[in-house]
Amino acid sequence: MKLSRPGARGARLSAVVAVAAAASLALSACGSSEDDATGGDEGLGDLTVQLSWIKNAEFAGEFMADSKGYYTDAGFSSVTLNAGPGATENLVASGEADFGLTNAVTVGQVVANEEAPIKIVGTTFQKNPFTILSLKDGGNIATPEDLKGKKIGVQDGGNALLFAALLAANGISEDELTIVPVQYDPSPLVNGEVDGFLAYVTNESIIVESQGLAVTNLLFAENGLPFVAESIIATDETIAERPDVVKAFLEAEIKGWKDACADVEGSAQYAVDTYGEEFGLELDKEIAQNSTQCETLINTDETAENGLFTISDSLLEQNLTTFEAAGIDVAAEDVFDLSLLEELLEEKPELKG
Amino acid sequence: MIGVTTSVSTAVGQRVRPGTGRAVLSGVSRALGTGLLMLAIVAVVWVVSVLVVDNAFVAKGPLDVAEYLFDKDDSAQTRATILDALGVTLGDAAIGFVAGMLVATLAAALIVLSKPVEATVMPVALILRAVPLIALTPVIRLLFTDTFTRLAVISGIVVLFPALVNIVQGLRSVTPQMRDVVHVYGGGAWSVLLRVAFPSALPALFASVRISVPGAITGALLAEWLVTGEGIGSLVVNAAGQSQNNLVWACVIVVTVVSLALYTVAQVIESLVLARYGQR
Repeated sequence: MKLSRPGARGARLSAVVAVAAAASLALSACGSSEDDATGGDEGLGDLTVQLSWIKNAEFAGEFMADSKGYYTDAGFSSVTLNAGPGATENLVASGEADFGLTNAVTVGQVVANEEAPIKIVGTTFQKNPFTILSLKDGGNIATPEDLKGKKIGVQDGGNALLFAALLAANGISEDELTIVPVQYDPSPLVNGEVDGFLAYVTNESIIVESQGLAVTNLLFAENGLPFVAESIIATDETIAERPDVVKAFLEAEIKGWKDACADVEGSAQYAVDTYGEEFGLELDKEIAQNSTQCETLINTDETAENGLFTISDSLLEQNLTTFEAAGIDVAAEDVFDLSLLEELLEEKPELKG
Repeated sequence: MIGVTTSVSTAVGQRVRPGTGRAVLSGVSRALGTGLLMLAIVAVVWVVSVLVVDNAFVAKGPLDVAEYLFDKDDSAQTRATILDALGVTLGDAAIGFVAGMLVATLAAALIVLSKPVEATVMPVALILRAVPLIALTPVIRLLFTDTFTRLAVISGIVVLFPALVNIVQGLRSVTPQMRDVVHVYGGGAWSVLLRVAFPSALPALFASVRISVPGAITGALLAEWLVTGEGIGSLVVNAAGQSQNNLVWACVIVVTVVSLALYTVAQVIESLVLARYGQR
């Protein structure tokens, strides 16, 4: 009757695993459910921001805002910047984070398909840096047509949605190419396992190039999918019930990014030395990334006039056209709520300059 | 220890012992009881965790998932997607299960026969088990180019170690007396292994089968996420990344129930076979 023991243990084990999984779920939810609104007299309480990527120069502005105390000046008592990548929309919608950084297409899809109670309240990048990265001596994918018959490395989750949108916008069927599941490390591209790799032109493209390889980029923004990225999302509840929190956060963000772009090297240094220390970042690459994003993605003629983080009417129109091309059925007001940013800039016009 | 004598008599006489029917019945009913109990526990944990989380967007309860699967316009489509993915996952799990069990059984036999083999194989098996598969995957990707082999390796590794340890222990449960009997009749180490050790290791073998069934599914899910991009493993990760929370819950529930069902089936088969061999 010794026989019955392994069975009982197996059963108990699987039950324990199930319980542990559920418990960790419950615990993580408990941790975040302490509402930030109960911050006391004047303060806005604790702030949690879900970043879209590891802590590299992509968030130079957030690092500046934190280290220069812009978040605390704005009224927050503490700031937690959580590294990605993760399901940003979910983390914000479930209250794990107050704000998240993501992009318009992913938000559009999640709102359209799942009726997620979230909206974009402002955007860091006016243009998205998504690209299909390929090697000049390899896939050399320069046009959407070149995608056909190729093996493309696409990360699961939000990026899979983006790639589907790229194909839809260019009238290419998924059957015409092979999608290979990859993680975020571009080595499958370098070792030839895939012909193309979904990446950031400001990140992986620079990394692969720095290994001495000539690269080709098929930019989403130039191939039917212009949309804003590193956009700030908040829940409908936050927007409606805690507008002062949203405005305070946007103010700190604008100040942080102004500083970051005014001192591209210094803010990249923060990423390398302090915030992203554990990732062993290379300063030259981070500076290159930071200056490229500041010059081409964050600061445009329109932001010079309207202020950072704003989305002009014509840019909004572009995003809606992108939604249509990608088959995302949503109205502008379901995805964007820029009223608080406008209010903030009216109250404090000095932020524009 | 267990029923060495009876197993030998079965091997010789091939006679089913009296009382086998009752043993089978109690074994089967116990297996089903365990399955139902586990199902009940999962259901309670599910409902309670949804209540605790209290966020309708991410935490979906049984009613939400039932509505999603049966009461929406595109429910039929959803069910088809999940069932297709489930079919792929079960196929992948079968590959991993067979690969893992085969390697575990062969390795266990060699380990019992030879000390040097044990000294080489065990540490490797331990390392394969100790290093997280996510960390091992890039290496597996580089070593094996073909998807079938990658699947077999990733899913097999999850199965391998517990099965190996169990089977080795089972094979070692031969008493010196039994060994002597075989030796007296002129049998060598191989005869001991085939005639005595394997029959007496049956309980351990089946315990490994039972543990390995959910293990193989876990391995298949991992392999699908990390390598193949098909099946439930990929579907659930994609759904999570795209905030398709109903789909995430539906996938998790389907996989859990199927694992439980297969575990129960393994338990039933175990009690049937062991009763046949008079081990119970």
